Amino acid sequence: FCKNIVLAGVGSVTLVDDRVVTDESLPANFLILPHENHYNGKTLAEVCCDSLKEFNPMVHVAVERGDISTFGVEFFEKFDAVIISCCSLGKKKLINQKCRKLSKRVAFYTVECRGSCGEMFVDLQDYKYSKKKLEETIECQIEYPSFEEAILVPWRALPRRMSKLYFAMRVIEQFEDVEGRNPGETSIADRLGVLKLRKELCETNSLDESQIPDALLERLLTDTREFPPVCAIIGGILGQEVIKAISGKGDPLKNFFFFDAMDGKGLIEDISGPSTRS
Amino acid sequence: MGVSCGNQGKLTITDDDVIEKSNLSRQFLFRDWNIGQAKSTVAASAAASINPCLKIEALQNRVGPETENVFDDTFWENLTVVINALDNVNARLYVDQRCLYFQKPLLESGTLGAKCNTQMVIPHLTENYGASRDPPEKQAPMCTVHSFPHNIDHCLTWARSEFEGLLEKTPAEVNAYLSNPVEYKTAQRTAGDAQARDNLERILECLEKEKCVTFQDCISWARLRFEDYFVNRVKQLIYTFPEDAATSTGAPFWSAPKRFPHPLQFSTADPSHLQFVMAASILRAETFGIQIPDWVKHPQMLAEAVDKVTVPDFQPKNDAKIVTDEKATTLSTASIDDAGVINELIFKLELCTKKLPQGFKMKPIQFEKDDDTNYHMDLIAGLANMRARNYSIPEVDKLKAKFIAGRIIPAIATSTAMATGLVCLELYKALDGGHKVEDYRNTFANLALPLFSMAEPVPPKVIKHGDMSWTVWDRWILRDNPTLRELIQWLKDKGLNAYSISYGSCLLYNSMFPRHRERMDKKVVDLAQEVAKAELPPNRKHLDVVVACEDDDDNDVDIPQVSIYFS
Repeated sequence: FCKNIVLAGVGSVTLVDDRVVTDESLPANFLILPHENHYNGKTLAEVCCDSLKEFNPMVHVAVERGDISTFGVEFFEKFDAVIISCCSLGKKKLINQKCRKLSKRVAFYTVECRGSCGEMFVDLQDYKYSKKKLEETIECQIEYPSFEEAILVPWRALPRRMSKLYFAMRVIEQFEDVEGRNPGETSIADRLGVLKLRKELCETNSLDESQIPDALLERLLTDTREFPPVCAIIGGILGQEVIKAISGKGDPLKNFFFFDAMDGKGLIEDISGPSTRS
Repeated sequence: MGVSCGNQGKLTITDDDVIEKSNLSRQFLFRDWNIGQAKSTVAASAAASINPCLKIEALQNRVGPETENVFDDTFWENLTVVINALDNVNARLYVDQRCLYFQKPLLESGTLGAKCNTQMVIPHLTENYGASRDPPEKQAPMCTVHSFPHNIDHCLTWARSEFEGLLEKTPAEVNAYLSNPVEYKTAQRTAGDAQARDNLERILECLEKEKCVTFQDCISWARLRFEDYFVNRVKQLIYTFPEDAATSTGAPFWSAPKRFPHPLQFSTADPSHLQFVMAASILRAETFGIQIPDWVKHPQMLAEAVDKVTVPDFQPKNDAKIVTDEKATTLSTASIDDAGVINELIFKLELCTKKLPQGFKMKPIQFEKDDDTNYHMDLIAGLANMRARNYSIPEVDKLKAKFIAGRIIPAIATSTAMATGLVCLELYKALDGGHKVEDYRNTFANLALPLFSMAEPVPPKVIKHGDMSWTVWDRWILRDNPTLRELIQWLKDKGLNAYSISYGSCLLYNSMFPRHRERMDKKVVDLAQEVAKAELPPNRKHLDVVVACEDDDDNDVDIPQVSIYFS
């Protein structure tokens, strides 16, 4: 994704990722080249920053250190778009709220690539934009729910053919939250715990458990690492969405996108409460 | 991904192109300092630094019939899978044919702006790429472009057409006449139609009425072109079809999408008017080989020169013929006295030719959109924008005009990334092998909408005959070095009457020719070498022939390619 927006030529990109580069980082990230001695102690953000600068010297690429959930509202005000990944449920809600508190509209995106699956969430708040219809330009407006509002929509209120990946991701997300895990810190050993949580959530939401297949949950538990082709696909779509939002032109995605390489399907789902449905 | 990293692994990439600055916005294996270097070699080394285990070879050949000595049988036979990253349909069709012949999986993809699509071609499982073709692009009807534009595209199409007509076709026509006057005149007389009359009229205009000797003549010409295109023609159009005109059914003539035009009024105070005259006069001068003075670029001095031009008054005619039929494909209207007019024109032409200087020739101009200093795009944009102004259509700047006229759709990193990711996923399936057609995915996506559409590939068309069935992937194989007679009998046993057998483009046998019966007992491979001069390399064990067959009811049957094994 970063590669795409840097190539497109945005004004500036700031990276926040204090995780240290390890051998494990290499297979899924082409911004990190296998030069052995290079990376002693450097963070992912620092190494990627150096690589990205080369892609387009006209883009200002910078690094911000620290835990993003501790940054104040003033930090987020500097940006037009905030994209987060590998963040816990709590962090997602928190950062989304900080973006919404500002008088300036800051676009908010979450993206998760886990194995063969990918999920994207978009919150453009109260969004006005223009687009071409036939031979004229018309003005449009859409309202978006926050992440918290979206996931609070009762499951039984959602259409029958809703992507199963949506529910599965919520179960995993909730599990990691309850167990105090970092995102992606799960394994097949957690299977029973996750299935139990699924049962509870489905009961609360009057959803049949078969809507969240065992096999899907198992895949999300075991294949937690990023998989290059899926990242390329999601990264391309996310890149395009961010460019549309920054330029204010073209129909944006609302508000979730799901991809599963197992069935090769890419689905857009609109999960919003009654007041924000477009 | 780790593809082609094993001991037996190898990735061969080939591209005959070099890196340009505009590639850098999406071809991220390249950097600024790579500009001018070969794409394939730079890509190979960049990829190898991402994964040093990659075994990659970079070539610079264009894949096509001319490079079959490089991409020979051995090359194709050793491939496991082929991935396309081509920029034109013909190359894709060629690779498709090769993959069909050598029975190799082909992972095809393409992008167009924010759109991307991927298509899997798997031997015996899916249809091949060439099995379905896109419908041809719709073109605006002629009368829309000529008299009733409603968007800038129409104006640009018209501008391109006028540019070509005035600056390329007409000077070329003049030269054709001057280099061989007798032949040319005879040809026009023989044709005797509206087109011939048109040709002669235009040549006469160039050599007589609108002939340019000095640069001031070119300025006059440009100024009068402006008057004709953007004032007089519009006045004529709205005279013939006033704003309140009605069609034969009583409905308003000027209803959407038709836009009612207004004539412009030329003014040297309007920079866009002056720029039009500048570009037009410069290019006109070029066609006549007249030197272009420096002062033309100074608006003040240009304006003075333009003011000197006398512009005749214009009166619309009552009997003007304007084509309104959307299905019309030509604007020339024939008239009964064409032949007579042609003779008159030829007479006038002969007179004025005598007055021409010795060795006079014009210089036709070929439209070149990418040279910013040649004034071509300036004129195209000028023509289109003035016309747009007539019809109250929003104008565009020179760059946008170039994009639209040149049908340039910038390639972007996002759709490219998506297409690549999707193809990589399919690659796993192709390499794994043994997958059913339902496991594969073809995708069409448009990131601008956004729209994502995935589907299973389509199986190949099955042809049946009797109790046999086959697809485009099948080959019929005959071993043991058969003779022509044996081949024909083999097909007869299947209920098929072979009437024509070819090797490549050379006919080996056709039932129509009695002489060919002498060939019946010859070995097919010998025939190929004698008659078709087939060159069979030492390790080749088979040759392929195309056989045209009929069934017993004289219906043609499309049979698979036949492979004859002779050793």
